[in-house]
Amino acid sequence: MKLNDTIRRAGRSLRQAKARTLLTSLAIGVGAFTITLSLAGGQGGRDYTDAIVKANTDTHELTVTKKAPATSSIQEYSANKSSSSGGFGQSYPTISQADIADIEKISDVENVTPNYAPSVNYITTEGQKKYVAELSTYSPSVTLDYAAGSVSGELADDELILTEDYAKVLGFKTPADAVGKKVTVNATKLATVYTAAPAMQDTVFTVKAVSSASGLAFRSQGSILISSTEAKNLYTYINEGTPAYGQFLLTSVRVKDANKAEDVKNVLDKKGYDAQTAADVLGTVNTFINVLLGILLGFGALAVLTSVFGIINTQYISVLERTQQIGLMKALGMSSRDVGRLFKFEAAWVGFLGGAIGSGLAFIIGTLANPAITKALDLGDIALLKFDPLQIAIVIVGLILISVGAGILPARKASRLDPIEALRTE
Amino acid sequence: MSGVSCYDGDMIEIRGITKTYGKKQNAFLALDNISFEIPEGTTIAIIGKSGSGKSTLMHAMSGLDRPEVGEVLIDGENILTMKRRQIDAFRASKMSFIFQSFFIQPNETCYDNVVLPLEIAEVPRGQRRAKVEAALAAVELTDKIKSKAANLSGGQKQRLAIARAIVNEPKILFADEPTGNLDSTTGEVVEDFLFNYSKTNNATLIVVTHDPDLAGKCDAQIEIVDGKIASTKGLNVSAHDPKNEPVALKEEELA
Repeated sequence: MKLNDTIRRAGRSLRQAKARTLLTSLAIGVGAFTITLSLAGGQGGRDYTDAIVKANTDTHELTVTKKAPATSSIQEYSANKSSSSGGFGQSYPTISQADIADIEKISDVENVTPNYAPSVNYITTEGQKKYVAELSTYSPSVTLDYAAGSVSGELADDELILTEDYAKVLGFKTPADAVGKKVTVNATKLATVYTAAPAMQDTVFTVKAVSSASGLAFRSQGSILISSTEAKNLYTYINEGTPAYGQFLLTSVRVKDANKAEDVKNVLDKKGYDAQTAADVLGTVNTFINVLLGILLGFGALAVLTSVFGIINTQYISVLERTQQIGLMKALGMSSRDVGRLFKFEAAWVGFLGGAIGSGLAFIIGTLANPAITKALDLGDIALLKFDPLQIAIVIVGLILISVGAGILPARKASRLDPIEALRTE
Repeated sequence: MSGVSCYDGDMIEIRGITKTYGKKQNAFLALDNISFEIPEGTTIAIIGKSGSGKSTLMHAMSGLDRPEVGEVLIDGENILTMKRRQIDAFRASKMSFIFQSFFIQPNETCYDNVVLPLEIAEVPRGQRRAKVEAALAAVELTDKIKSKAANLSGGQKQRLAIARAIVNEPKILFADEPTGNLDSTTGEVVEDFLFNYSKTNNATLIVVTHDPDLAGKCDAQIEIVDGKIASTKGLNVSAHDPKNEPVALKEEELA
């Protein structure tokens, strides 16, 4: 019997037991539904974190900290040891100017920028109250969503980027109103042995743009951004002369080639620094998503396993019911192999049907639910469930193969049937 | 007429076949050293009571069953020494069956029922429709081609079974009690179709029956009692001798 005739005859046999075929398929369909949805969720989740990390980090950039000393909790006192007090007796190793010079010497390193993060007192504008503010450094490689205005390339030293929230409290009716206006940032010079009295300084900035709260932003959200040069100036003004001056917890290292980031990381590791690349950040977040995905896939696999027994059972009953038909086909010269194949193809059809129903439903429901999920989780314009046609095809093919596997035992029973016995009418 | 035989035009030759069921003490001799020849195109009735071994004989002749001893030569080829797949292919191309209980698929259309042997014999798709139509025309069911087999009457069902049996133009047709489930009028119609096919195609028709009227319509008869040939009519019968050579016996009249 030719293959396509066998496949067509298998399909026809199933149509004659529509209810049974459909119910068996639905069992697989549950598995297909779960698997397709979890794969779509995993894909969407990965894409989402990917987008977040891409928007907030740069593949050319490494975030470097100094390694904590080995686990021994009691340390010998050292007067020269540079450390920054954590406030509760804990101390973190910090990166000094000497360290920065050392890192700059590593090949493929373009530049080293310490994280200045100047602790200013407040931000204000004419006729408004003073508000506590936190300043961060603007990096052109980080994507921002703007509510008004925009920045292309570097930020000038007398410009800053406000957030929507600050624009509102500072009395601007709309974010667009804020653009081009002047704001004042106040900073206090910290007392040192050389300065008799603390001094204060106002710096005036022009609002270049207003950033909007984005589903993608995490580092820069809530921060007012200024240029790195201005951040350094403010930092120097505030900290110069204090023991903490020139000591940094974090520094970012820019490499010349994104592909060398991993090599530079290894060199830094040998020198006693911890470095995180963009890939590391992505990896950490993705590990979490993958664990969740694995759990969901496990449930799907369990549903498929259950349906396998359903297929075996249904196919066994089918073989028993059609004993005479099998006997006749064998008497007419159908080979045992072809009889077995007929039943395996029936199982394959059941698998295909179940896979198509389950995946199809998952696709329809997922596509319909996506806007609601996005709204509920406040993800902006990101769809959490991403259906990949190739992935769906693989799921269906996989289920067909599993169904054929389940159909092997009943098919063997059919192929071994003795036609003489099968055709005995008594 | 395809069968060019090296046995004087004999299509089927049975040589000393013996079939035992069960083991040792419980052994039961279903067929005991049976030998005979059926010339091509003959209609022959195998008659006997139920349990006499006549069905077993039919199964042996068609290669469905394998006797321990003996040969079944069809066109000079011993089908009992063939491999399974060879016998299957042989049956698909040269033989067909009609059974007492029809064994048609009630939920399928007449077309799908009749086309089955063509699919099994791997007849090219383009030739199938014409062959199915011809077979249905031969049993006067042309207008039922799209009907479900379940909607046919008993006689029509058996005619459908005949159409299925003759669609691939077999040279040997086995009919196991073909009219057993039919009343005498419809039975006669069915018989006519069978004999008609045999005549027009010079096909050998082997009817297993206990109906003397049906047996009487055949060219030859062979009566089986307790696995042995009790009597024959119109047939060249040979007994099995130790050298395994057929020896012509004197023709006997049925009692």
